[in-house]
Amino acid sequence: MKHAITKKVDLNNGDYLMEVEAPNVAEKFQPGNFVILMTREKGERIPMSVQKAEDGKVSLFIKRLGKTSKELDRYKVGDSFFQVIGPLGIAPEMKKYGNVAFCSDLVCGHAENYAFCKGLSEIEGNNVISIQTFPSEGDIYPESELTEHLCDEFYLTTVDGSKGRKGHYLDIVKELLEERKIDYIFAGGDLSKLRDLGELTKPYLIPTIITVRQIMIDGTGMCGSCRVFVDGEMKLTCIDGPMFDVHKLNFEDILHRVGMYKGEECKAMTAFEKQ
Amino acid sequence: MEKINKVSVPMREQSPSERIKNFKSVPLGYSEEEAKTEAQRCLQCPDPVCEAECPVSIKIKDMIKEIGDGNFKEAFLIAKRDNPVPAIAGRVCPQEDQCEGVCTMKNIGDPINIGKLEAFIADWAMENKVTEEINIKDKKEKVAIVGSGPAGISCAADLRKLGYQVSLFEALHKAGGVLQYGIPAFRLPKEIVEEELSCLEDMGVDIQLNRIVGQNVTCDALMDDYDAVFIGTGAGAPKFLGIKGEKLMGAYSANEFLIRTNLMKSYKFPEYDTPIIVGDKVAVIGAGNVAMDAARCAIREGAKEVYIVYRRTINEAPARNEEIHHAIEEGIKMLELVNPVEILGNEDGWVSGLELQKMKLGEEDSSGRPRPVPIENSNYRMEFDTVIEALGTIPNRLFLSKTTYLKKDPRDRILVEHNLVTNIQNVYAGGDAVRGNATVILALGDGRKAAASIHKYLGEKANAQTIF
Ligand SMILES: Cc1cc2nc3c(=O)[nH]c(=O)nc-3n(C[C@H](O)[C@H](O)[C@H](O)COP(=O)(O)OP(=O)(O)OC[C@H]3O[C@@H](n4cnc5c(N)ncnc54)[C@H](O)[C@@H]3O)c2cc1C
Ligand code: FES
Repeated sequence: MKHAITKKVDLNNGDYLMEVEAPNVAEKFQPGNFVILMTREKGERIPMSVQKAEDGKVSLFIKRLGKTSKELDRYKVGDSFFQVIGPLGIAPEMKKYGNVAFCSDLVCGHAENYAFCKGLSEIEGNNVISIQTFPSEGDIYPESELTEHLCDEFYLTTVDGSKGRKGHYLDIVKELLEERKIDYIFAGGDLSKLRDLGELTKPYLIPTIITVRQIMIDGTGMCGSCRVFVDGEMKLTCIDGPMFDVHKLNFEDILHRVGMYKGEECKAMTAFEKQ
Repeated sequence: MEKINKVSVPMREQSPSERIKNFKSVPLGYSEEEAKTEAQRCLQCPDPVCEAECPVSIKIKDMIKEIGDGNFKEAFLIAKRDNPVPAIAGRVCPQEDQCEGVCTMKNIGDPINIGKLEAFIADWAMENKVTEEINIKDKKEKVAIVGSGPAGISCAADLRKLGYQVSLFEALHKAGGVLQYGIPAFRLPKEIVEEELSCLEDMGVDIQLNRIVGQNVTCDALMDDYDAVFIGTGAGAPKFLGIKGEKLMGAYSANEFLIRTNLMKSYKFPEYDTPIIVGDKVAVIGAGNVAMDAARCAIREGAKEVYIVYRRTINEAPARNEEIHHAIEEGIKMLELVNPVEILGNEDGWVSGLELQKMKLGEEDSSGRPRPVPIENSNYRMEFDTVIEALGTIPNRLFLSKTTYLKKDPRDRILVEHNLVTNIQNVYAGGDAVRGNATVILALGDGRKAAASIHKYLGEKANAQTIF
């Protein structure tokens, strides 16, 4: 099956959106699922978050970083990808959570934030709070790709304070927690910030479910490369996750393993740029 | 009477020093003359014991006779009749435990190289574009097959030949199961796997890749939309020792190591995008085929020293003899009677070694092999940069968690009756999904057997419908 690219839009200097034909995926996608993308036959199997799945197409948020993403950037509207595989992973139930928040500070997190806000707001009884953090004013995504129009309460922060509230989503969460009862928190993005989020919500005993990025290949539980330890027990991010209870995760392990191929990526990048 | 030739025709191979630099086939294959000479050694026993040992009952005696007479096409058709993938089985079957193990010639000299002859005849047919002629009379019944390993392949081939509309669902982006992602190209060249799979497509089997049953297709949907279902999902999930240090960078499951290498072609990085990191000194834990494959990949991917770390001795190793022999020729060292108790790491989170406990052999256990017994206070440490755990695999949880109505044993193997039907009347299963870690040929045999059962079931169903 060909996966034609039907849309490509810059979100900011570093991130862009791609809409790709993938009817099998779009039909079954639920917020929390992910896909595996292969640009070409010789490509890597790259796990990716999905922002939207509609009309047989999925929209992905992509960062121009690393060799594969750089290579991805060469693809234009009308080109096709070799494979878009999924939906993968377990999707948390879209049900009534009450005061429920989604926090994000990086591309994949922002994509998930969008999917969750849409899913959660369709359910009666949810007060959906969405918090999105960007480094600076120039990095903020176009309005249509932010979550404001999908949620009940929207907070935008910039780390340098050039637009919206100054600071990180962590600062907003802290305020909210002191102010009122939050029932449930989802989050995605920078792993070290997710760890901080866990520290923050733990004393309040608020269930906090985050998306874990781990090295993956098959995405079906066959290779074991995506293993993480939850309460000391080995779990596979691709089939037991990708969303886990932040309070049960061992972050040191996750942060370590994620960086395993950094050196190789640099080598690949050099080779790619020489081409 | 002709003189009996006690010595088999040796297989020409790439030299060890040469082959550790590439992923090309180690055996170079028999020439026509060599194959004939080897085949002519066969005694043509009146009661061919070899055939009784073949899980798919190839007419080995006739096949060898035709090779000996130079009738290669006939020989090929004989092999193909009982085995849809002779080029594969000839290369990976544990012949020493099957046909060759009981060959009468073994009493007086070398057994006939049956596996090599099977591979020869299949390769010959491929080179000479000789194929089986198949006349398919289409039937309307539809059968879904889950998993494209040897079990799924053979089930699909047989059912399609019988005229059924067959769809094959495979989770990965390439078909073939272990043949594709597990067994390395130097043992089983991928062109051969692809060629034998293309026969399926030529026959009209609808191969649907990236279809993960339980995830993007439900098993219930298959049971509703198809008249019968065959489950050949294998046992593809890695087992871990569960010791300290498995989270370290540089610690792999053999599955990950082999999937990167074989499916994703990391050995051609950066032409292919998927990287692999192989340190100078590699330990592979385990001594089955999977361990030998991982060790031999590691040496080809730049490791300077590779050790097989095994808690028994190599005499008890479950790997095929040929693999152990090739591994040793390639400089892989055998560290016997040791059990890893911890993977050691450095401050950056990378593997730095293993802590090992010495073992001795005790009494026989249920597998008929001497049990390894730990020796108290014998722990010591050895430096390694990469540790690969090759402890065997277990059935994939993804499929099972979505099909809880299927009966399983405590080790998650799907339970079947002798005709391979599960507890659901139109659902059949076979291969590693039922047996746990078994072999290619047993999976092939199961696929064929299930096809026959499904044919019988659907035939009876159709008859019942015409009567009422
Ligand atoms: C590295 C290695 C080396 C080996 N060497 C040998 C050897 O030399 N000789 C030998 O005889 N045996 C060998 N074996 C064992 C042999 O490969 C297996 O016994 C055999 O492949 C089992 O066949 P199968 O069809 O049951 O399953 P598999 O070959 O495991 O195929 C199962 C297929 O099902 C797919 N699948 C799983 N779940 C789903 C799902 N939910 N939906 C869709 N598809 C799914 C998988 O992706 C896979 O492609 C080896 C195994 C390994 C791992
Ligand atoms: S990606 Fe292979 S097991 Fe999760």
